[in-house]
Amino acid sequence: MLNETLAAEVLSLARTGGADFAELFAEDTVSTTLRLHQGEVKDAGGGNLFGAGLRLLYGTRVVYAYTNDVTPQGLRDLAGQVARARGGAGEVGREGTGGLDFRRLEARPLYVAREHPRQTGVREKLALMRRAHGGAAGAGFVKTVDVNYLDRMQRVLIANSEGVWAEDERVWTRMTVSAIAQDGTLRETGYYGPGAGQGLEFFETVPPEQIGAEAARIANAMLHAGYAPAGKLPVVIGNEFGGVIFHEACGHILETTAVEKSASVFADRMGERIAHESVTAIDDGTLPGSWGMVTVDDEGMPGERTVLIEQGVLKSFMVDRVGELKTGHKRTGSGRRQNYTYAPASRMRSTFIDNGRETPQSLISGVAHGIYARKMGGGSVTPGTGDYNFAVQEAYMIRNGEIAEPLRGASLVGNGAQDLLNIVGVAGDLSLGQGMCGSVSGSLPTDVGQPHILISEITVGGRA
Amino acid sequence: MTAQSEPQLSLAEAQAYLLERARTQGVTLEVYGERGTATSVKAYGGEVSEFKLSTRQGVGLRALVRGAWGYSFTENLSRPALDRALDSAVENAELVQPEPAAALHDWPPPPALDLYGEGLSGVTVEQKVQVALNLDRVAREADPRVVSVPYGGYQDGDLQRLVGNSAGLGREERQLYAMQYAYPLVSEAGQNKMQGDWQFTREFTELDPTRTALSAVEKAAALLGAKPAPSGTFPAVITGECLAQLLMLFSPMFSGKMVEEGKSPLAGRLGEQVASPLVTLVDDPTLPRGLNSRAFDAEGCPSVPLTLIAAGTLTAFLHNAATAARAGTGSTGHADRHGIQGTVGVGPSNLFMQAGQTDGPALAPGLTGLRLTDVSGGHAGANPITGDFSLEAQGFWLEEGEVAHPLEVFTVAGNILDLLAGIEAAGSEVHWTDYGAGAPDVRVNALAVGGA
Repeated sequence: MLNETLAAEVLSLARTGGADFAELFAEDTVSTTLRLHQGEVKDAGGGNLFGAGLRLLYGTRVVYAYTNDVTPQGLRDLAGQVARARGGAGEVGREGTGGLDFRRLEARPLYVAREHPRQTGVREKLALMRRAHGGAAGAGFVKTVDVNYLDRMQRVLIANSEGVWAEDERVWTRMTVSAIAQDGTLRETGYYGPGAGQGLEFFETVPPEQIGAEAARIANAMLHAGYAPAGKLPVVIGNEFGGVIFHEACGHILETTAVEKSASVFADRMGERIAHESVTAIDDGTLPGSWGMVTVDDEGMPGERTVLIEQGVLKSFMVDRVGELKTGHKRTGSGRRQNYTYAPASRMRSTFIDNGRETPQSLISGVAHGIYARKMGGGSVTPGTGDYNFAVQEAYMIRNGEIAEPLRGASLVGNGAQDLLNIVGVAGDLSLGQGMCGSVSGSLPTDVGQPHILISEITVGGRA
Repeated sequence: MTAQSEPQLSLAEAQAYLLERARTQGVTLEVYGERGTATSVKAYGGEVSEFKLSTRQGVGLRALVRGAWGYSFTENLSRPALDRALDSAVENAELVQPEPAAALHDWPPPPALDLYGEGLSGVTVEQKVQVALNLDRVAREADPRVVSVPYGGYQDGDLQRLVGNSAGLGREERQLYAMQYAYPLVSEAGQNKMQGDWQFTREFTELDPTRTALSAVEKAAALLGAKPAPSGTFPAVITGECLAQLLMLFSPMFSGKMVEEGKSPLAGRLGEQVASPLVTLVDDPTLPRGLNSRAFDAEGCPSVPLTLIAAGTLTAFLHNAATAARAGTGSTGHADRHGIQGTVGVGPSNLFMQAGQTDGPALAPGLTGLRLTDVSGGHAGANPITGDFSLEAQGFWLEEGEVAHPLEVFTVAGNILDLLAGIEAAGSEVHWTDYGAGAPDVRVNALAVGGA
């Protein structure tokens, strides 16, 4: 083990510049990536990420350094480097080292992988991918199919000068299918990519054929579609990955990383009504086996279930250690980072709008002229302004309360603070979708989710 | 977690060790290595909010077994870890479908490029911190409407890359960069806007924090007083930075790999007129100040400029060794790899549209329509397989060629090939983005806008 004596020595060395707090994060990550194109294995790779980061806090100021020389001397050198960055000597006498009485965090794993990807051969993974290929290939107008498989096992150690000692193993497994449908010069793409914080048993609940079939269904449904109209319209957004709207429009600006800089329109609005009363939104790290699961966050704190908005009222931010220091709001186990090359920041886990009382049908039937955005693509937000966008992968016109012709090429744009008030109906069919979320501490697995919702008015970017 | 107990080799030692092991095992191997040291200083509210130092190195392996490539990578450079990586690359190759024309080459020498400048050894930590603090202070003091500078700072990096293979190739280069950026948040009458500016250089002394900060504030403040955009189709001026962003988003259309996999709308159209005669599109990895400059590509193939579109005619695709051989041509030196973890694909370096003849107001005399300055959401809203885009946009409304007012968040939509075909005039200066793409300002006849 990276033993307690060495960790204590490194933390002490690092604090010789006068830091209030020091934290060591060490990581050993093994990954597999595979790609099938037209059913043939095109890429097989993967490898070993191995490194350590040291974070010091001087008040709320952060010094971070990392290296992948994780030998005892490499770690001592790193500690000396960060200490000297603030004018410290980078060395301590024998009596000054160690002495930390670590308390081992005994967090019970929320989920233990049954078919661990490390114990499963690549040939079995390829067999699963071939099933996904089979689900898409030749369906309707589908001419081209790509299947990607990814697994990642990240082992981490977090030790800090407050005596925290936390270890965790995170397993992620994911399969994504891209299908291209073609008819003459017409061409459209469909994509579906579920994943989980589980081993390969995940594919028992979500059979690979289904993943392929869903990508193919979207590509075929959109192939002969006309272009979406442009302008402000009512929009019904589908469940599962539809939740990307809340993620972009509101999630990012409820992270203390944005709040602490006043780069959030919600910074001073705790306890106020910021959304329609039908909206309850939650960021949950405790869903067993989920893509956004956090048994222990990257600051050594167990994940939590955080109610962000309750019946329209702002209840909590997502808070990490620096966020707590700067804003005074209690940490929520939201300190996350992609790997040792990033200092942790407050980040989303599984973020979703909770079930409401309507049904998808009742939402759609109330719209005279609008859009049904059944499957969403990705999106992004500018934290300072709350202006966000996201792409619609599969959309339909709604005419007189009925789903009508398919539409391609739509995006939705708006402003989080305003559009949250425009969510006027929430159905009861909550489900989660999986994505990679990029922000200051790197790219992380996060779930988005929601039931079907109705937004009274949003700007649609089409060209008809 | 285990600390590494075995000694770590240097990058060059690791490469030599692996190639020697490969030779004795009869494995055809390529070793791609990177070592980088970097400093980053973020400032907020007059103080350094984050200071970051890093050292990172590792090797990416590519083994060729019976015509098939297998990959692996490791950041652990001990001999046992390197052995495991070699075994893993070979095992992976055995699972992969053989590719016609897969081979390693001992390429001719690369061009001599100075991407290193004077170096950073004479620059103190205090000087770097001062750049970040100056950016923050100048931006905050420049205009009372500046609330704060949420994103601002200084970064530098010193990167060593090497490529060696069992065909005898051995290439190494070092490059350095220093950059600064500031994104002020401005507020007036309940409207919040954020916009910024940046500077990239290979010489620390060339950085000018005052200029970048003032320009950032000017760009952000210009967006205040925004009014809703109308919905409809309008003529537009697209700024060079914005067009460059679109070109980068759609650069996979020019990839020989995307072409051979049936994913490019330009497949089969070499020699055809695919854009306005005003469009000449070049990819040049040899620009001394280019953000993505390099002397050789991820396979060690020497860098040369390449014209993709000449006066509207599609003249070339980007290729690595294998895609080129299968397309019956030679590598253009565009083998691309996202660090040691990536596989070898095809990608652009510094991609830019050449300047035209028209300048300033002459670009849009009397035009009533849009001045499009920025698009975002491209990772999902731009589809290089179809060429279609629908994106969040920023810009201004023009009346009779003059800026009338900025526009509230709106969208633009269309198809990149239609857009390039519809270019009616091109400005006389190329503007670069902070990811290494460039273009002049252009005027197009029609752009679909989604607004109020």
